[in-house]
Amino acid sequence: MAKLDASDAIVFGISIDSPAANNAFAEKIGVTFPLLSDMNRKVLKQYGILKMYNVEKEEYDWAQRTTFVVDKNGVIQSVEEEASAINPNSAIAVCTKLPKK
Amino acid sequence: MPRNRFRNALVTAALMAGLVTAVGAQQNVKVSHTSLKPGDTAPDFTLLDNHWKQVHLSDYRGKKNVVLAFYVLAFTEG
Repeated sequence: MAKLDASDAIVFGISIDSPAANNAFAEKIGVTFPLLSDMNRKVLKQYGILKMYNVEKEEYDWAQRTTFVVDKNGVIQSVEEEASAINPNSAIAVCTKLPKK
Repeated sequence: MPRNRFRNALVTAALMAGLVTAVGAQQNVKVSHTSLKPGDTAPDFTLLDNHWKQVHLSDYRGKKNVVLAFYVLAFTEG
């Protein structure tokens, strides 16, 4: 994450959890960046990443693991889905290549 | 021999049908791939952070690059 600070970037984690759950999660795993709550799944729908999960034969709409890098002009620079979204290295690489100012 | 070949073909067909069914059964997770791609404008949003404070994506326009890391659920491997 220090690498990201150096590239003038901020990270947001986003899920459907409540702020209270996210805060407990943040403390548990020691993240220093904000975790955002998309409790009504509005952003997941906007970004087209609602995914249906089956748990004990019931269906749940949660996020598809996805990482977007958005530059300072609000333009998407990279999209990574599923397994490749877990490793932050490529998102960091994209950020470091973006202009600093 | 031709009869054997016919039987083998049947077995192969049956195996393939089984395979297709098995693959079909695993499709109960519906994946929605995002239609957003590099070069698109990131849709603006307002969300509550883990201190119940509003965050607007547009606040960072012209200031910071932003990494949006969507995860499945807190306290899970997702």
